[in-house]
Amino acid sequence: MSSGSRFGDWATAGVLALMAFAAAGVMNSAGEQSEPRHATATPAPMTCGSCHTDYDGLLAEDHPKISGDTVGACLDCHPTDRASRSARNLLSARLHPAHLPPKGDLDCEHCHTWRAAEHFGLAGVTDDNRGAPTAEDMQWMRAGMLTWVGSGFLDHLHARAGIGCADCHGRRLPPAETTLTNEQCLACHGPLEKLVERSTPSDFADRNPHQSHLGEIACTVCHKAHMASSVYCLGCHRNFEMTIPGGQ
Amino acid sequence: MAEQKEPQEKSIGTITRRSMLKGTVALGAAAMTGSWALNMAAPGRAEAAPKKLPDSWDETWDVVIVGSGFAGMAAAAEAAGAGAKTVILEKMPTYGGNSIINGGVYAAWDSQFHYRQNLNLGDDSPELHAEDTIKGGDYYNLPDLVQVVAKGAAPALDWMISEGGARVRPTVTRAGGHSAYRTHTGVAGVGREFTDALRRIAEKRGAAIALNSEVTWIWRRDAYPQSPVLGLEVKRGRRTLNIRADRAVILASGGFSWDIKMRLAHNPRMVESFNCTNQPGATGEMIRFAQAVGADTLHMNFIQLYPFAEPKTGILDTPAVYPFNGPGYGIIYVSKAGKRFVNELERRDVCAFAQIHLGPDAKPTWSIFNEAMVLKMGGSNEEVAAGIEKGRFIKADTIAELAGKLNIPAAALQETVAKHNQYIDGGKDADFNKPMTKAMIPLAEGPFYGLAQWPAVHHTMGGIRIDDRARVIDIFGNPIPSLFAAGEVTGGVHGSNRLGSNAIPDAVSFGRVAGTNGAKAKTEA
Ligand SMILES: Cc1cc2nc3c(=O)[nH]c(=O)nc-3n(C[C@H](O)[C@H](O)[C@H](O)COP(=O)(O)OP(=O)(O)OC[C@H]3O[C@@H](n4cnc5c(N)ncnc54)[C@H](O)[C@@H]3O)c2cc1C
Repeated sequence: MSSGSRFGDWATAGVLALMAFAAAGVMNSAGEQSEPRHATATPAPMTCGSCHTDYDGLLAEDHPKISGDTVGACLDCHPTDRASRSARNLLSARLHPAHLPPKGDLDCEHCHTWRAAEHFGLAGVTDDNRGAPTAEDMQWMRAGMLTWVGSGFLDHLHARAGIGCADCHGRRLPPAETTLTNEQCLACHGPLEKLVERSTPSDFADRNPHQSHLGEIACTVCHKAHMASSVYCLGCHRNFEMTIPGGQ
Repeated sequence: MAEQKEPQEKSIGTITRRSMLKGTVALGAAAMTGSWALNMAAPGRAEAAPKKLPDSWDETWDVVIVGSGFAGMAAAAEAAGAGAKTVILEKMPTYGGNSIINGGVYAAWDSQFHYRQNLNLGDDSPELHAEDTIKGGDYYNLPDLVQVVAKGAAPALDWMISEGGARVRPTVTRAGGHSAYRTHTGVAGVGREFTDALRRIAEKRGAAIALNSEVTWIWRRDAYPQSPVLGLEVKRGRRTLNIRADRAVILASGGFSWDIKMRLAHNPRMVESFNCTNQPGATGEMIRFAQAVGADTLHMNFIQLYPFAEPKTGILDTPAVYPFNGPGYGIIYVSKAGKRFVNELERRDVCAFAQIHLGPDAKPTWSIFNEAMVLKMGGSNEEVAAGIEKGRFIKADTIAELAGKLNIPAAALQETVAKHNQYIDGGKDADFNKPMTKAMIPLAEGPFYGLAQWPAVHHTMGGIRIDDRARVIDIFGNPIPSLFAAGEVTGGVHGSNRLGSNAIPDAVSFGRVAGTNGAKAKTEA
């Protein structure tokens, strides 16, 4: 595998890093996960071996023997999709949940390197650069990652279907104002006509949230990834009976 | 539009006033640095905290417009058309404000189709439209402003039709308070017919729309009459941005019907328990921000109830427009007791309070009409069918059967209908002195329909003071340089009571004036 694979989508690579550098020795309580514990810098990288003495119990029987104790070992066989749309059930969608609360107890910076507003990458992989998040960006990313791992929100519904960060956000860290376009949602959930058909109420056909009197609106008006989704219609039509996945 | 002379202040007055205003800001020596922003908010409020003018700007546009309804879209279309780099900031995640959900009825004395003339529905003129508007507003209206609307209505309608692709139904109605058949209805049956048309024109001309962008302050250095508005503070997602307007800021942020505190502060009758027809974003912060940089307001206590909203939720849905469009064609309103309670051609305030004065258990009242009226009053058979399915329109073959379904004493309703039919015949309403016309249809042939209705807070006639060039006027009577306003956020066009179907022509006509003049303005930092 060429070294180019190291620059695949950031979530996949990030997960590989998590696996590579799981570090039991520096775990902290889940409550502290949402606080940026390091204002500007990353702790010394840990290796997978710091926690895992062997991988036999973790990997499928036919998984080749792992040689090496860094993420590079995984990247060679688990290539990442440069088109920023990756296959389902990626390593990222399995490994982040395994190491983050509630199952695990690690924080981003155990496996990722970060210099505030300069750099975010994968510890132990040279030249890996996936953006330049500020402390505030890190806080939001951490919060989004945690709800993706476990919450009643839409992000977790995606996680359960094996959809990782990169499937929506691409290989770079999402900038502060990221909001998905309808085309991105419809790439999997479309075409719109299909959605319209599926959400046509049996009683009143014109009360269809995907074809309303507001015309074409953003999916994200109702469907929020990292917070509770809510039916915008109900802001005025208080007597409608409508529910939404990932809602309160 | 009248050419007006720029009011020139005497220099001594200016200096005194300027220093006094700086005193009002209560910043003492700090104001001398020049980096503080003007803030006349009442001390003790969160908004009154001293604010620094931004050192730098995150975005720069020629014309920045607040609000994406009729007024904002029309302003954007004209400003962009005049070559200004134009953006609309909208705090909601969808565009259109109250405009896109509105009933789509539009008063204009004429259009390129000349329906009134072709249907032999009498005479009309901009003068008559202005006269009705002023009478309907109890003569509180500022006549200069009314002229802009009455004269601008027909050309603005034709503009939306020709350039924006808006479509109107082939009829005109005579609606409450109007003395002529001049109310046009969009084919969509909602305001979206016109917001989409305006949006097409605005976008074609290069204007941009930024949703989820809430304006949180207006930047102005001081209240010196030559001191322009510089730009806006905007909350977008979790970022706060400062946006510079090189030529003008145009406030098109709509009314404040959902701002219960503001409503009550000006009109204690508008209690919290009233339903409201508006979209949730109809709040008054932009009026307060404008006041904090010196803008004058007027008529803030004039708040309108829509008399015919859906009784449970206060929604003004498609059926709820029928009672408004019906009176010219013979629709009647009856109480639970089956009796008329008002001249149906009366203004909205009269129709609303006539219901409220029926007593505490009077909710709902009913509109009664028949099939022969549907198309004439700008309705459609599809709308009626859909309304029946939802239980909004109740249909029956006879008046007695309808009374049974509405839980109204049949004898009383039959008597009321028979009497009203005679009034149409005889040309005189002995009960409420309604001016009967030949266009009214007696309730003789079924099927008949009933529709439940009740008043809900609907429109705020008052707001920011502007002149006929849409310039915002300060508390001393001077235009604030580079600040314009149009639409429901302004006061003075409608006086104490807005006639139905007058708000779209107001917002579109003044939006165009604001956009045209805003593109010609210039701010210097
Ligand atoms: C249900 C209903 C039906 C109606 N039917 C009719 C009718 O048939 N005919 C008629 O003539 N009139 C009708 N009216 C009245 C008319 O629709 C309104 O007066 C008109 O739409 C006002 O247009 P506007 O552009 O001034 O404001 P709006 O269309 O309300 O637009 C203002 C926009 O500014 C935004 N905004 C407010 N504050 C901020 C902020 N701080 N930052 C950023 N954005 C902000 C709002 O979210 C809103 O989108 C109706 C009103 C309602 C509510």
